[in-house]
Amino acid sequence: MRINVDWDRCEGHGICADQAPKVFSLDDEGELHYAFDNEEIPDDLAASARSAIGVCPVAALREQA
Amino acid sequence: MGDDIVNSWRRGQLPGCLEDLMTTNVSIPQYRTDIYSTQSILDPYPHYATLRALGPVVWLPHQQVFAISRYADCKAVLLDDETFVSGDGVALNPVANRLGRGTTLNSDGDEHATKRSVLAHRLTPKAVRKMTSAVQEKAEGIVDAALSKQSVDGVDDLATALPMSIVPDLVGWPEDGREDLLRWAGATFDSLGPVNRHSVAAVKGAAEMLAFSRRVVRERSVIPGSMGDDVLKAADENKIAKSSCPALMIDYLGPSLDTTIGAISGALDLFARHPQQWQAIRQNPDLIPNAVNEVVRYESPIRAFSRRAVRDVEIDGSRVPKGARVLVIYASANRDEAEWDDPDAFDITRDAARQLGFGSGAHGCAGQGLARLETQTMLRVLARRVERFVPAGTPKRAVNNVIHRYERLPLHLVAAEGTPL
Repeated sequence: MRINVDWDRCEGHGICADQAPKVFSLDDEGELHYAFDNEEIPDDLAASARSAIGVCPVAALREQA
Repeated sequence: MGDDIVNSWRRGQLPGCLEDLMTTNVSIPQYRTDIYSTQSILDPYPHYATLRALGPVVWLPHQQVFAISRYADCKAVLLDDETFVSGDGVALNPVANRLGRGTTLNSDGDEHATKRSVLAHRLTPKAVRKMTSAVQEKAEGIVDAALSKQSVDGVDDLATALPMSIVPDLVGWPEDGREDLLRWAGATFDSLGPVNRHSVAAVKGAAEMLAFSRRVVRERSVIPGSMGDDVLKAADENKIAKSSCPALMIDYLGPSLDTTIGAISGALDLFARHPQQWQAIRQNPDLIPNAVNEVVRYESPIRAFSRRAVRDVEIDGSRVPKGARVLVIYASANRDEAEWDDPDAFDITRDAARQLGFGSGAHGCAGQGLARLETQTMLRVLARRVERFVPAGTPKRAVNNVIHRYERLPLHLVAAEGTPL
């Protein structure tokens, strides 16, 4: 599974980081970091990554088809 | 127009072009009860449960709209902003939809993205992080004052005091226009409802607010460095039209008050009625961020907004015709039994992050970072200093077409041990 992050849309609400802390994180500056840019998300993290997509308040996360 | 279609379905006389709709649409149920009567406004949830049971799309003859009441469908509509547009307004009456032109709320695509970019960055968690200590200080002062009274109105003394001490300064609204601000903002929301006596009465307040905002733009009387100042500068740089400035000022100011007041006062009421959950929060303040999600799920400060379908579209097997207005009922989605276990139970330990109280997608609430900061900070300060909230009289709900919140919430505060009164 791969996720596209729409950085123009992302406003850094960080709700994804609560759902999938090993996939998304907010640094001390409040910037969002995505751990698997252009990489496969490991299978054991896929479920949390999908729920992160589901909670993004501005729909900035999409699963790659 | 929608009504004609439904009447045609009922009479079995369909215009030729709609024949293909007939195959799926023959069964679109309708709900004749007015979900915007005063009684329904005060207690909407039984009506929402009926809508969810009736079907994914339900015709409301009173409002001439298709109601979308189930979580998955509401979310799908909000995320498909190319089909379900905001540019023709998100209100339930044409006057408000016309008055709302120029706002971020009532725009689509690139225009919406441009308008949102002027202001939304000021409200993100990253931006409001700088305000954390100021919000904390205000909250401490507000709780000090409330504890010294002990018997308080949770709405006035706690819930209203915080956003009113933060938001007008942030937006840069001039001091001399603040007296009427809360009334104006509430009226602006109320005016977005269907044509009923509430929205008609509210037009005056909404118009006063817009007139004041026009004057603020004309006289450039915003506080320097504020969000309002950003709006004027964006117009100077031709990023946005000068004519849209008054509406843009209200765009961010109006929705930042009643909603947060609804969330904070809703939280106070819920914790007064669930003292064990308040003790859990007091022992573990890390529960607070999700508790705020659960409060917003449970209370849904904004009931619903509408969209217009720009093409024939199917929602969970029911066809909605091109041009129809759909009502996305966030408050119903947040109590959908197909999405939530025991949806009418308040439970701060459930995962409530996907609640739709802030909407979702391109038009998702731009102020939610600030709203979360204010509500979480207030709960953190209270958790340290208030042992429990005791209901001290009958609460009163506000009557507003869009805003769902308390108007009065009498509480007795029991100070935590060691907290000076």
